[in-house]
Amino acid sequence: MSENFRQTAPESLGVIPFNIPNPTKTKLSNGLEIVLLEDRRHPIVSFRLAFRSGDINDPKDRIGLNAAMASMLNEGTEKHTSKALAEEIERFGANLSVSEGLDNTIVKASTLSMYSGQILELMAELVLSPVFPQKELDLYKQNTIEGLKFQRSQPDFLADEQVSRIVYGAHPYGINSPTAEDIGKLTRTDLVDFHANTFLPNNAIMIVVGDFDSGSLRAEIEENFGGWNAGEIRNPELEDLPARSRRTLTIVDRPGSTQSNIVLANLAIKRDHPDYFPVLVMNQILGAGASSRLFMNLREEKGYTYGAYSRVYSKRYAGMFEATSEVRTSVTGESLKEFFYELNRIRDEKASDQELADAKSYLTGVFPIRAETQGGLTGLIVSQLLYDLPADYLETYRENVDAVTLDEVHRVAGKYIDVDNLAIVIVGDAEEVIPQAKEFAEGLEIFDTDGKEKDAESYNKPANGAVPVNVAGTWELSVEAQGQKLPVTLVINQAGDSITGNLESMLGEGELSDGKVNGNSVSAIAKTEFQGQEIELGIKGTVEGDSITGVMTTSMIPIPLEFSGLRK
Amino acid sequence: MTQTLKLIDIELEDYSLENGLRVVLNPDDSIPVVSIAVYYDVGSRNEREGRTGFAHLFEHMMFQGSENVAKAEHFQFIMKAGGTMNGTTSSERTNYYETLPADQLPLGLWLESDRMRALAVTQENLDNQREAVKEEKRLRYDNQPYGEIFDILGSMVYKNFANAHSTIGSMEDLDDATVDDVRDFFRMYYAPNNAVLVLSGAFEVKTAKELIEKYFGSIPSQTKPPAIDVTEPAEVAETYRKHEDKLAPLPAFLIGWKIPPRRDPEHIALYLAGKLLYDGDSSRLYQKLVKGEESVMQLFGFTDERRGPSGIMIGAIPKADMDLDRIRKTIVDEIKLMASEGPSEEEMDKLRNQLISSEVRSSQSSLSRAQGIAECTLYDNDPSLINRELSQYLKVTAAEIQSAVDKYLNTDNRSLLDIVPSGNSN
Repeated sequence: MSENFRQTAPESLGVIPFNIPNPTKTKLSNGLEIVLLEDRRHPIVSFRLAFRSGDINDPKDRIGLNAAMASMLNEGTEKHTSKALAEEIERFGANLSVSEGLDNTIVKASTLSMYSGQILELMAELVLSPVFPQKELDLYKQNTIEGLKFQRSQPDFLADEQVSRIVYGAHPYGINSPTAEDIGKLTRTDLVDFHANTFLPNNAIMIVVGDFDSGSLRAEIEENFGGWNAGEIRNPELEDLPARSRRTLTIVDRPGSTQSNIVLANLAIKRDHPDYFPVLVMNQILGAGASSRLFMNLREEKGYTYGAYSRVYSKRYAGMFEATSEVRTSVTGESLKEFFYELNRIRDEKASDQELADAKSYLTGVFPIRAETQGGLTGLIVSQLLYDLPADYLETYRENVDAVTLDEVHRVAGKYIDVDNLAIVIVGDAEEVIPQAKEFAEGLEIFDTDGKEKDAESYNKPANGAVPVNVAGTWELSVEAQGQKLPVTLVINQAGDSITGNLESMLGEGELSDGKVNGNSVSAIAKTEFQGQEIELGIKGTVEGDSITGVMTTSMIPIPLEFSGLRK
Repeated sequence: MTQTLKLIDIELEDYSLENGLRVVLNPDDSIPVVSIAVYYDVGSRNEREGRTGFAHLFEHMMFQGSENVAKAEHFQFIMKAGGTMNGTTSSERTNYYETLPADQLPLGLWLESDRMRALAVTQENLDNQREAVKEEKRLRYDNQPYGEIFDILGSMVYKNFANAHSTIGSMEDLDDATVDDVRDFFRMYYAPNNAVLVLSGAFEVKTAKELIEKYFGSIPSQTKPPAIDVTEPAEVAETYRKHEDKLAPLPAFLIGWKIPPRRDPEHIALYLAGKLLYDGDSSRLYQKLVKGEESVMQLFGFTDERRGPSGIMIGAIPKADMDLDRIRKTIVDEIKLMASEGPSEEEMDKLRNQLISSEVRSSQSSLSRAQGIAECTLYDNDPSLINRELSQYLKVTAAEIQSAVDKYLNTDNRSLLDIVPSGNSN
């Protein structure tokens, strides 16, 4: 039916070369490196003043200090209060902010070029003369502590907390957030001292990209930053990274969760490792994007999830490999099976020539798109400088990708996906997840959402030697369904630790199956009809004498329905 | 103190194919990339009761293969070529876009034209994508604290079903969708006469026109979809609701107001008022609540910009044990103040510089340009508006902002949504 030309993908029009021009590099006498790249296409300028100092530089008894110092830079300087600073910056339509991470802290600004002089002055104020007003610090501490509570409601945070702890151990990369206690300890003097010790010109690079004249800009930078004194650079205190000898399963229990956040992780390479490009290409094949193996399997073929990916985090001193997905609770076990299938496959068999070609053409093709905007281009240059990558790193990036071979992909998959010693972290409903996941690991740890370890033995295991209690009889229950109380009758017949019976309500009736009693815990499935559709209702309860409480779950309703009742 | 800045117009050439497809070309050879945006005039506003979530489900279906492109190959072709892509559904439209190395323009046009003319609608694809959409709903709405609150507020502000229901839709309606429903939907809405195609980036205009004619020219037009009614009464549908959220660690609230459609001068004035009220550290409410009273952890607001009646929403997550009424009173008082005195000269300078900066930044990206042009073409039938929009915003006066705030925000005609934590997560 289609015209012939539609039947296959059309050819390229012919590749247009693209090269990032080289920035010019100079240094001030105080050691501040200055990297300038003129780009006159749009009347804007991007500044980055980047420090090779980050959260890992926090003293061990002052976790959260770098983040506090960084956040407080724009909360008051010698010339401007916090409010006045916000007004000044926003009045120019500019952005001036500070971002910090584990390795680096970066003061970023972007502005229309006609205001670049004023914005550069404001940057200098933030960096050279912050005041860290006590009142603002008190507010920061209060807000941060409140924010930590909020963080604990986010499944991603909870997963990351465990993954970092397990994979990095006592190394500073293992801390993903300060605690409320940590924040409480911070004093203004701590911030002042830390700022003086880490914000040194000889530990910093000023990168500017945009619409300016290099000669004049360099003079302005010298004027604003020339009087800044160099100092002794203190390196972060690092610890040995943990060695692993088996696969472990760690669950963060979030009862009633409709999804399981799954993360599989192990140590991998640091940013300047010679295997960087082979690992980049291998990860592209395995799980970097929507046409990678993990996505195609878990989402496109199986429909378990909205997305499944793998990532490689390569930092200054160490790195990590991780495979992740958020899946329906009931398919947690199946998803793990597929994860292991894919992780083993890329290690055991060489990838195909086609997969290799596709991964490379993505990585090389997308490169100009990443550099399209000034912000994107600046980011690429900043990374290259901060991680001390070769001067021609950006120029040779695509060549290096193209040079990766199938053998190298195979080798790095075997080396950096530590299938036998992975840390499996799942944030979800522990009672549902444990039976599905425990076969995949030795060792089980359970944490609650506050980060406190729970006794793994007490989850979903029959009480040793406990006699199943008598649950037989007719139970009149009240089920909370979407704001209403629904009367339900449960008739149970018991034979030892197994039960049968039925469930009746005004919406329908159904027989019980898979009925079990463990100590005083009762569970069963009722198949019933609801609004003309057959549904499966999971029932779980705890019996005490003649009263019962518990939850009912069904895939039609996202949250469990609580019930309670009495035996007649 | 605002200096004058002459911005260069975005170069445009627009025309239509015989089958009604509107095409706009924006050649710009600064970087060897090209962005393609295809906008279909169908969003949740076109959905009827019992069929919510359809437009969005359909967006998923569009990536499942067409006559000459196998299931899920769309992603793969784009990635292989070194491109990025996505699609989104809103109340107003469904859009599909990719950014590719410039030499791969034919690939992008082939993919977009094949799915416009011959999408593979099968039971299997429908079932799979229905599950993916349900997972998306669970991930983004059900399993996140505060996941649903904007949708709930929408159903309180807007009365007309077309405007009031959420884009993600209900699981029951999604379960009811049959393959025939989906085929009918495709035929009606995914027609060239119901779409706009925009190219922005490095290409020769002559080559682009030839390729567009080759790939899109023979796609037959369809009957125009039925007109829809998005009119709203002046009053909000519901002024108060309390919503229990099992996953929320702290209470929160959202307030919504109904405002005129996007091109109405009063809408523009209100959008600017919103920025002054809640956008950025120097905004009035940030300084009053996050800083002054120190009562709020997070302040947020946005303008729900629609072709028809639109909305403004302002909300906050207060700190623990705060007096929510007092925080709301501060918001209402600040609105009263702006309604009686209007913005200051400094605030007007700020707005102008922010508008210009924002315009310059987004004009760097071929994708932003393509999307902006597509909106002006689809919604306003005038692509050249992309070059005149900024001046419409820049010419708004303080008096106009004051009067719009007084008329639309300084009123009891608003919806308040209280979100109360009801779970164990305290």
